Amino acid sequence: MENNKDRLTKKELRQLWARWGFTHLSSMSYEKLQAHAWAYSYIPFANKYYKDDPEAKRRLLLRHSMFYNTEPQTGQLINGIVASLEEEIAIGGDVSEELPVNIKATLMGPLAGVGDSIIQGIIVPILLSIAMGLAAGGNVLGPVFYIVTYGICGPLISYLCFINGYRLGVSAIDVIVGENAKRITDAFNVLGIMVVGGLAASNIALVTGLDIPMGDEVKPLQDVLDGIFPKILPLVMVLLAWYLITKRQLKATTVILILTVICTAGVVIGVF
Amino acid sequence: MDSSLFIPALLTGIFCYLGAIESPWLFGMSGGFYVMGRPLVAGLLTGIAFGDVTAGVLCGAAVQAVFIANLSTGGATNSEITYAAYGGIGLALATTKDPAVAVTLSILIGQTFGLIFYNTRMAAYSVWNRGAQKAAEETNDRGIVMNHVVYPQITTFILRAVPIFLAIYFGTGLVDWLLTNVPQVVTDVISVLGGVLPALGIAMLMGIVIKDRMHLVFFFAGFVLMAFAGLSMLALVFIAALVAYLVFLSSGKQMAVEVGNITMNANAAYEDDDMF
Repeated sequence: MENNKDRLTKKELRQLWARWGFTHLSSMSYEKLQAHAWAYSYIPFANKYYKDDPEAKRRLLLRHSMFYNTEPQTGQLINGIVASLEEEIAIGGDVSEELPVNIKATLMGPLAGVGDSIIQGIIVPILLSIAMGLAAGGNVLGPVFYIVTYGICGPLISYLCFINGYRLGVSAIDVIVGENAKRITDAFNVLGIMVVGGLAASNIALVTGLDIPMGDEVKPLQDVLDGIFPKILPLVMVLLAWYLITKRQLKATTVILILTVICTAGVVIGVF
Repeated sequence: MDSSLFIPALLTGIFCYLGAIESPWLFGMSGGFYVMGRPLVAGLLTGIAFGDVTAGVLCGAAVQAVFIANLSTGGATNSEITYAAYGGIGLALATTKDPAVAVTLSILIGQTFGLIFYNTRMAAYSVWNRGAQKAAEETNDRGIVMNHVVYPQITTFILRAVPIFLAIYFGTGLVDWLLTNVPQVVTDVISVLGGVLPALGIAMLMGIVIKDRMHLVFFFAGFVLMAFAGLSMLALVFIAALVAYLVFLSSGKQMAVEVGNITMNANAAYEDDDMF
């Protein structure tokens, strides 16, 4: 027991955060994804605590070389929790070496779900929609707005998640998977679903060029459709794609092929 | 081939590397994939490289519309957005500067070469992973650094910057040839496809957020607010926030009812939320 060992300094904590923050996907492959970013993050930590204990260092590096995948910015919450646990283990506290592994394996899934819907489902599309409006006519303000806003959001989310994960330790798990947390993430989810609905209406473009006879005159079918349900064709397309992806479990590449076939057929017979 | 293209092509290739999903330099995904990797930002940067910022931003905004819902979950992606953005916009700026051309080229590059390069790399990097695993077993710090950062990044630079540089430096003639020789029906199909492709990314987003068939109600509400009422995205966000808050308020009661139903015990309905 080496209870007299120092805790992590602020600088060392920031280093753990930054090492992951910069290199989380550096060696990504389908096999391991973000696995080795953990081992890389823990090199200075290992050399601080396990300099004279190569066997413990080996165990540390190995338990942080296992398959891992989550949303890497909100996922820093897990990095914070694990940092607090690894610190306890290193200073001889009553924490098993299995715990960090279990926490990583249990939390990466739920956190990826929440993180992806918040980052890719809400923040990025909203900021981009605003920025694209500002970019009308080739205005530099559009891209600059996006660079500044996301450039602040991304790292800030990452830092706050890490620090709070570290501060709360294991009790942060309740923040992620607890019943009260579920209410909050469900509410955010509703926000996300509505934004995605809006994205579908404003970003998918498909019109028909067909004409239909209306009594004596011939009217463009699209005008008739717009009168009943504007953007009905984009809606049909997105529901079809959603059905193929989630219900039929098709791969994205397969769906691209199907959409290409539909578009080609439509153009060739003159529907689109 | 035009020697005045050397510097712009080189810069675009380097940007394509910096905006890649695996690039670490700009705080990982935060500044890389999510900022430099976005076609809107790519338009600005490529525009600066080619000395025509307005044309760059116009191309960037047009390409961004197609890739608005680009998605990366668990390593799977619906289109290789970085190759698409820098290849498509770079080639367009080197030739006609026409946003429609940028969109066509981006779709071609992103859905074909881009995805092939991406999937091959994702499979091949297991080699570096094995090296890093071995280094961890041998407690070899340097081995982890080399196999996690140095080797993969050199490979990524070669896979990203070099093809984009070559495509822009040597590919302008090919693009001109394509634009004059490809039949009208093919360009028509690609332009229709450009309008439909966002449906895939949005469908993948729906796959993440819609966990229950009843959730489609919120999706239709958002759709209708934009399609019928013509709201802006910002206005929709505020309305959606209101709805989300109402859902939050009501979920407290609903949960108690659910607990009651599950346990088939009337008393359970009065249990506290914290029982889990």
